[in-house]
Amino acid sequence: MQLTIAVSGINAIDNPGPGTGIVRALRESALAAEVDLRIIGLAYDSMEPGIYMHDIIDKSYLMPYPSAGRDSFLNRIAHIHERENLSVIISALDAELPLYIDVKDMLRERFGIRMLIPDRTMFQLRDKTRLKELAERIGIKVPEYTVCGSYGDFTAAVESIGCPCMVKGPFYEAFKAYSPAEADEHFHKIVNKWGYPVIVQSFIKGDEYNVIGCGDGKGADFGLFAMRKMTVTNLGKVWNAVSIDNKPVLEAARSMVEHLHWSGGFELETMVDAKGDIYLIEVNPRFPAWVYMAAAAGINLPERMVRLLTDRVFEKHSNYSSGKLMIRFTGEMLRDIADFEKIATVGEL
Amino acid sequence: MEFERLKSLAISDSGFIFDPASGHSYTTNGTGVSIITALKSGANPGDIAPLIMEEYQVSPDDAERDVADFLDGLRKLMLI
Repeated sequence: MQLTIAVSGINAIDNPGPGTGIVRALRESALAAEVDLRIIGLAYDSMEPGIYMHDIIDKSYLMPYPSAGRDSFLNRIAHIHERENLSVIISALDAELPLYIDVKDMLRERFGIRMLIPDRTMFQLRDKTRLKELAERIGIKVPEYTVCGSYGDFTAAVESIGCPCMVKGPFYEAFKAYSPAEADEHFHKIVNKWGYPVIVQSFIKGDEYNVIGCGDGKGADFGLFAMRKMTVTNLGKVWNAVSIDNKPVLEAARSMVEHLHWSGGFELETMVDAKGDIYLIEVNPRFPAWVYMAAAAGINLPERMVRLLTDRVFEKHSNYSSGKLMIRFTGEMLRDIADFEKIATVGEL
Repeated sequence: MEFERLKSLAISDSGFIFDPASGHSYTTNGTGVSIITALKSGANPGDIAPLIMEEYQVSPDDAERDVADFLDGLRKLMLI
């Protein structure tokens, strides 16, 4: 039996999307031995590496940017579905998620395509601009922050919070600023790329502990996995990590799922200071790029998600070993220019 | 002194220590391994110096100083 799953975020670049990690998790799962798994990559740029990873992704399609609107997005999915008979779509990019939230029911009714994603209320409750409220509900702290809708707000926020501080975009990117001048530079970079709001957050010195999980939409999770970032890139992306058994951090994640009735994959980002206080940094509404780490350590959340969506039995435990090390690495592949020509001109490969 | 955190540490004969709650790792020498092993098995800090004296053939003063220094290090790392 063939089971076709489309996955976005296959931009395995220096600021990696989660897509190729999700695909590897699916390829190495027990599910792959039970069904004929066909994986479709949904890309936004002809140079997204996943497009060319023919060993794990069977075929890729270029998608219109979410800014092109709902109709154009739906038409593209309809076209892909007609050819591929999609059963499940795993969305892995924050920027496209609001659009999928809008069309999720339509995809199911019209095409039979299933997705496990948060609804609009959940999505908004974990927004970077509302962390205070969420942190209080799940019993952890939150760094002081200000949501800025103008340059005036921003300069006032930097002055009030002080440096070093973190300057963050609405969806992606966060930069540490050691001085107001540096903060200013980051502000312009973010506004030019992502627009408003810009968030200024006080910098918490400590360790970054992150939890990946998946919620069933009814208040329960079906698997949590925590790690500590050991090394990060200049963009703050994890390069090496170690699995941990940190009960308060895992409990905070469990509590978030329960409180929000979270549906779908997520990443809870926290900082733990020298006193052991846990600060909520943000909640990403999809699997993080390091999703493969959890899968390789026995918590295969993409597989569990697909099993749930296709009415198969799935595991719900969070039993994994601490002390498992993730080592990210760089790699190259060689493809013919004809591949690029095909994806760039026809929009599929 | 609280030793609960210490009890959860994974320690190998080579002196490599892993804290599963924080993900931090440390290395220590043979004396450190002996002190941590003794503490994990429930020994009081005051009982450890004689063990070190006997195991490493050092004077009582040296053993007591080594144990005190090591405990101080563990305290700084918030492991006790």
